[in-house]
Amino acid sequence: MTQSKSFRINSPKVVRETIDGEVVIVNLDNGHYYSLVSAGADIWDGIERGISRDNLIEEMTQQYDGSREALECALESFIEELEQEELIVLEQTDALTRINSSGEQPNISKEKVSFEPPVLQKYTDMEELLILDPIHDVDETGWPRAKQVEA
Amino acid sequence: MSAKQVAYSNVPAKINQTDPLIFFNAVYAAYEKAETASGSSIEHFYCIGGFTVRLCFAGPALLPYMTPALAHLAIEPIPDPTLTICLWDSTSTHTLMPPPPWQADDYRERGEIRGFNNERIHTTFQVGPNALSILDAERNLAIYWVKTTKQIPYWETGSPLRTIFHVWMSQQGVQLIHAGAVGVPSGGVLLVGKGGSGKSTTALSCLNSELFYASDDYCLLAPEPTPTVFSIYSTGKKNADDVQRLPFLTSLISNRDRLDSEKALYFLNEHFPKKILPSFPLRAILIPQVTGQTETTLKAASPAAGLSALAPSTIFQLSGAGRTAFQGMGKIIKQLPCYYLNLGTDVAQIPDVILGLLTKD
Repeated sequence: MTQSKSFRINSPKVVRETIDGEVVIVNLDNGHYYSLVSAGADIWDGIERGISRDNLIEEMTQQYDGSREALECALESFIEELEQEELIVLEQTDALTRINSSGEQPNISKEKVSFEPPVLQKYTDMEELLILDPIHDVDETGWPRAKQVEA
Repeated sequence: MSAKQVAYSNVPAKINQTDPLIFFNAVYAAYEKAETASGSSIEHFYCIGGFTVRLCFAGPALLPYMTPALAHLAIEPIPDPTLTICLWDSTSTHTLMPPPPWQADDYRERGEIRGFNNERIHTTFQVGPNALSILDAERNLAIYWVKTTKQIPYWETGSPLRTIFHVWMSQQGVQLIHAGAVGVPSGGVLLVGKGGSGKSTTALSCLNSELFYASDDYCLLAPEPTPTVFSIYSTGKKNADDVQRLPFLTSLISNRDRLDSEKALYFLNEHFPKKILPSFPLRAILIPQVTGQTETTLKAASPAAGLSALAPSTIFQLSGAGRTAFQGMGKIIKQLPCYYLNLGTDVAQIPDVILGLLTKD
C-alpha cells in the first residue's frame, strides 16, 4: 500500500466556522485568527472532509482554470503555511483508506473559475490578551502582592 | 509581637489539596466568617439575562464598587434566586483568605488557575483588582474576594463580576460578549469590533437620540427562541482624549480627576434611567469603522466579517470561553445581516443611520 498525505484540523485548539463560503479560524492557544475565501476556503473544506492531497488536486483541477502544475504548487505552498501556523496536522493513512473515505463531494460547477492562489489572512491583534502576567511576588498570606495602590 | 505579626500569625493554614471543590468550600467557609465578623449580610437582587441573581455582601465595603453598574437591573428581594454571589474583602471584615493551594506558575492566561477548573468548579484570579472569582456550577453559588477594595480599578467597577457572569451564563446557554448594543424595544443592533473601533462612541452617542442603550462594551446574547440581547452593565467608557466627541456627557464623567490614567467612566443609570433598555430582539450586526469622513454610512459586510469582529475579542478576554462560545456566536451571526458602520466625524448622524436601518422595511 502506498502512503497518501492527508491532513486534519488541529482540534481542539483550532476552531472554525464556514459562513457563505468564507472561513473564520481561531487558534485558541495563541490568540491568532484567520480568514479564508475562494481557493483557500475550498482547500480548507477539503481538509475538513478528510480527503487526501491527491484528491484535493483532482477537485481543484475540476473547479479552477489553471495548469495542474500551478495548482499543485499553490496547494503545496498553502498547506505548508497552514501547517506552520499549526492550523492543520499531517495524518497519514494508506491509499485504500483514502479511496474509501473521500468525503462528501462538493458541488462543482461545470464552468471553471479563474484561479487565484489561496491567501491565509492572519490577524494577531488579540494575542496580547493571552500574554501571561507572571506572578513573582506574593504577600505573607500567599496571595499575589498588589501593585501600587491608587489613592 | 507587632500588630502585623499578630495579624499574620492568624493566617489560615494552607489547604494541601488539589481538589477544586475542597478549595471552594474553604473559601465559602471564609466568606461565612467574614459575614459574621462584619456583623451584617447585605443582599441586593437583580434580573440579569432573564435570570434572578442575588449578591450577598459581607459588610458594605464592596457595595460602591460592585453595584452601580448593575443598578438598572435591580429588583425586589425574592426567595429563590437562580444564582447567588457572595462578595467580601479581607480588610474591612478582618478575615483572611486561606492561602492559595496552587503554585505561582499555575496562574494562566485569562486569570485561569491551572488544576482548579473542571465541569463543576471554575477558579480565576484577576491580576489588577487582585480578585479571586470562584463558581460552583452545581450549587449555582459563586464567591468574589479581594484583599482590599483599594486595588479595584475603575474598569472593574464599570463591569463587575464579569468572569462569574460569563462562566455561569454560558452554562445557561447565554453568552457574555464583547459588544455594544443599541436599539429600540422592537429590535436593535450589536456593535462589534476590537477596542478603539468606535463601539463606545457609537453606543454612547445614541443616548442623545431616539435610540436606547444596552451596552457599550459587554452585553449578554441569548440564541433562542430568537437572538436576543440583554443589558448587563449600565456604564460606558470613553478614551480620555476623545471625550469632547460627546459633549453632552462631559459633566457626567465620574472619574474626571483621574483621566490622566483612566478612561472616562459614566454611570448612565444615574443620568439616563429611561434610556437604558434591558433587552431587545437582535436585528443586525454592525462593525464600526472610523473613516475620517464627515458622513456616516452603512455598507454590507459578510457574516464572516461580523464573526471575525465579534468572536476573537470575546473569547480571548473572557475566562472559560472557547469552542462552544465560538460556535454559538457563529450560529447567531449566520441568521443576521451584517454591515460595516462607516463612522463619520459628525457624531449626531450616527444614531440616525442606525435608526434608519432598524425602521426600514
